[in-house]
Amino acid sequence: MSSATASSPRVTLLQSVALVWRTLRSMRTALLLLLLLALGSVAGSLVPQVGTSDARIAAMFRDHPLRARIYNQLGLFDVFGSWWFTLITALLLVSLVACLVPRTRALVRNLRTRPQPARELESMRHYTVRHVALAPDRAMARARRVLRRRLYRVAGSNGSAPQSLAADKGLAREAGSLLFHWSFFLILVGVIWGKGTGFSGQATIVEGQTWTEAHANYAGQIHEGRFFDEAHTGIRVHVDSFTATYRIPSGIPEDFVTRADLYDPDGRYVKTVDIRVNHPAAIDGVKLYQFGYGWAPVIDVREDGRLVASGPVVCQQGTPPPGVSPLQLPWDCAVKLPSLRPQVGIQFRLWPDSRALYALLSAGKAMPMLTEYAPVMTYTAYRGDLRLDRPQSISSIDTAAMRRWTSGVIGAGQSVQLGRGLTMSFPDLRQYTVLEVKRDRGLWIELVAAILILVGLLPALYTSRRKVWVTAEPDGSGTVLKVGGFALQRRPQFEQEFARLVDEIARSSDGRADEGSREKVHTT
Amino acid sequence: MSVEQWSRVSTDAFNVALFAYIAGMLGYFYHLAFRRPVVWRIASLTAYAGLLAHLVSVVTRGIAAGRVPWGNMYEYSSLLSLLVVAAYLIIVEGVYRLRTLGGFALAFAVLTMAIAVEFLYVGPGPLVPALNSYWIKIHVVAAIAGSSLFALGSIVTILYLVKDRFERRAATPPPIMGGAVGLEEAPPHFEAGSDEPVGAASERRGLLPSAAVLDRIAYRTIAFAFPIWTFAIIAGAIWAENAWGRYWGWDPKETWSFITWVIFAGYLHARATSGWKGHRAAVIALVGFVSLLITYYAVNLWIVGLHSYAGVS
Repeated sequence: MSSATASSPRVTLLQSVALVWRTLRSMRTALLLLLLLALGSVAGSLVPQVGTSDARIAAMFRDHPLRARIYNQLGLFDVFGSWWFTLITALLLVSLVACLVPRTRALVRNLRTRPQPARELESMRHYTVRHVALAPDRAMARARRVLRRRLYRVAGSNGSAPQSLAADKGLAREAGSLLFHWSFFLILVGVIWGKGTGFSGQATIVEGQTWTEAHANYAGQIHEGRFFDEAHTGIRVHVDSFTATYRIPSGIPEDFVTRADLYDPDGRYVKTVDIRVNHPAAIDGVKLYQFGYGWAPVIDVREDGRLVASGPVVCQQGTPPPGVSPLQLPWDCAVKLPSLRPQVGIQFRLWPDSRALYALLSAGKAMPMLTEYAPVMTYTAYRGDLRLDRPQSISSIDTAAMRRWTSGVIGAGQSVQLGRGLTMSFPDLRQYTVLEVKRDRGLWIELVAAILILVGLLPALYTSRRKVWVTAEPDGSGTVLKVGGFALQRRPQFEQEFARLVDEIARSSDGRADEGSREKVHTT
Repeated sequence: MSVEQWSRVSTDAFNVALFAYIAGMLGYFYHLAFRRPVVWRIASLTAYAGLLAHLVSVVTRGIAAGRVPWGNMYEYSSLLSLLVVAAYLIIVEGVYRLRTLGGFALAFAVLTMAIAVEFLYVGPGPLVPALNSYWIKIHVVAAIAGSSLFALGSIVTILYLVKDRFERRAATPPPIMGGAVGLEEAPPHFEAGSDEPVGAASERRGLLPSAAVLDRIAYRTIAFAFPIWTFAIIAGAIWAENAWGRYWGWDPKETWSFITWVIFAGYLHARATSGWKGHRAAVIALVGFVSLLITYYAVNLWIVGLHSYAGVS
């Protein structure tokens, strides 16, 4: 290292900071970052993502472990939450600030100063001389009127001859552009504030049950923001009924409706709502969305006449194989009886429409189950250790430490003897609904930002900057008007605009433009 | 009339429109090559007739289905090509008074319609619950309008790139021949003043309008489409907030519409950046067009996501 650089490290540091800043300010960098953002998003749409395609990610880890590990290291399974996607976004925003701050300053300066007078109108791209029969004062007043009507800002020097004025318009272009770009920061504020202070979770509620909005009642299906104040609302949702209607026989869904009574935290009735897709319900700053549904058979198990398990059991579906509709698939659920010695677990497979089971057994044909029809469950009971100290699935049993005990079929309204004093009955089949419960206080900020983005975009794209100057010199009884102008955007259009503007300014009271006017219109 | 009859009318009108567009396309290409104003007039009239039949097809389809006629990919494709033809007739023939580009716009419409009727056709039916909202009128219409304008702008961009390359070659004469600038004279049947706006006299050379004119039309059309596309994404986010409880979830459709938006935003910025104007910006616009096609076809048909209700099974 040379002594010169060693003696002035501050300068080099400053220089490099300045270099980084200049690089970030350049449009080239912004373009590059935009394209990188697009590329990253492409990766995010092609590689299966955590949360939306977990099964495909698991399959990849199974089939191509090396590739999956590399993808995982690169954050490709969670592109939009990865450090490099965040980095690109952050750099883009920094680059935006670096670009917007000086532009905003310049615009404010521009707005404060009046249109500046110009010399040498003759050398303007558009320049015309006209004779008018008006006195200079009146010709100037007319020019001012015409320009103002066309939304020009006009500034003029009064008195001294030759009279002149300067006019410009189209500052809305820059203002709109700045509004458009700054609004993205407003979106960012809305997202951070809304997601940070909010929560979203999924509530599984069986028909006839009441659910209270509290952290524990989401069964882990909840995400709370970083700045969430832990204050869940305590509102209660009593699900009266859930109805899914389908077109018969196509099985195209028509409507999913959860009818629910809502109660405030003190247990006072507030209202009855129909929550359906596209029609969420709102209460206490919390919104409830129709998210999913399923079947919940009521299963009672008695040991020597004493109830050991009772109530609706939530069933779930596996992922249907290709070409099979979820409606054709049976539902899995499980009853776990840890209090018995040895422990007992019963695995169920529910067919809400028993005709589908018979069609499958007799003809090998899959049939969609659109409504409840003589529901039936096949079951297999196991004895041994349920291993409840390990992570559990609500709809299946960990049979690693259990032995198969007995199996059979049970229809709705029936009861069966399992043996060893255990009786199982299936009195009723209900449905459950899954509601997405959400609080996001940033929504209105994002909405305002989105509107501002559009409001800014229109003038930014469709207005253009124009400057016009007029001077008036007395000439006999009339006036010689010199008009010059130029356009920063849409130049070809300005040619006609300028000609019309001059015509209107120069149209004298008797409607006759001077014959001997000299025109010089440059073409590009 | 019954659903079947309305549906039949819609299909028949669709076929009439398709054949009118094919005839119009051939006429436009003939006019492009040989400059017969009569042929242009007939081609243009045929395109208008096709547009009318197409409109009948879309309206009767809506009557048959008892809802807005843009609920699945077939209907979306149909309306998209209708809007491309309409945008061509209004913007290129109406505003810019150019008569030679019709064949390209109609070719795009014909291709879109052929794919729609061959691979995407489904009978009129009800909407799935997720689509059953008044937002389908706002979000989808904006998406179709934006897409059709992006498509038209991209078609003109392709022509611009072709013409630009041609003009550059003509501007640098091969050293042996020397002074070949004047080689590309207007063809004999050229109708003076019919193709370029005022002030472009020096650029009347070759079959297509000048690169500068093509560039301007492409830019104006894309700049017209961009806010509409922006609005479509915003409306989609509001709808998603209502239907799914989140305004943005990086669903493949959302992601690709965002990618398309970013690329066309890049195009608009590139046009204001020295060293990126013209040729390079045009290439970005074409990348955007590819992204638009992926957003529509690939995401609906091959990438699994919440928007996978193309109605194609």
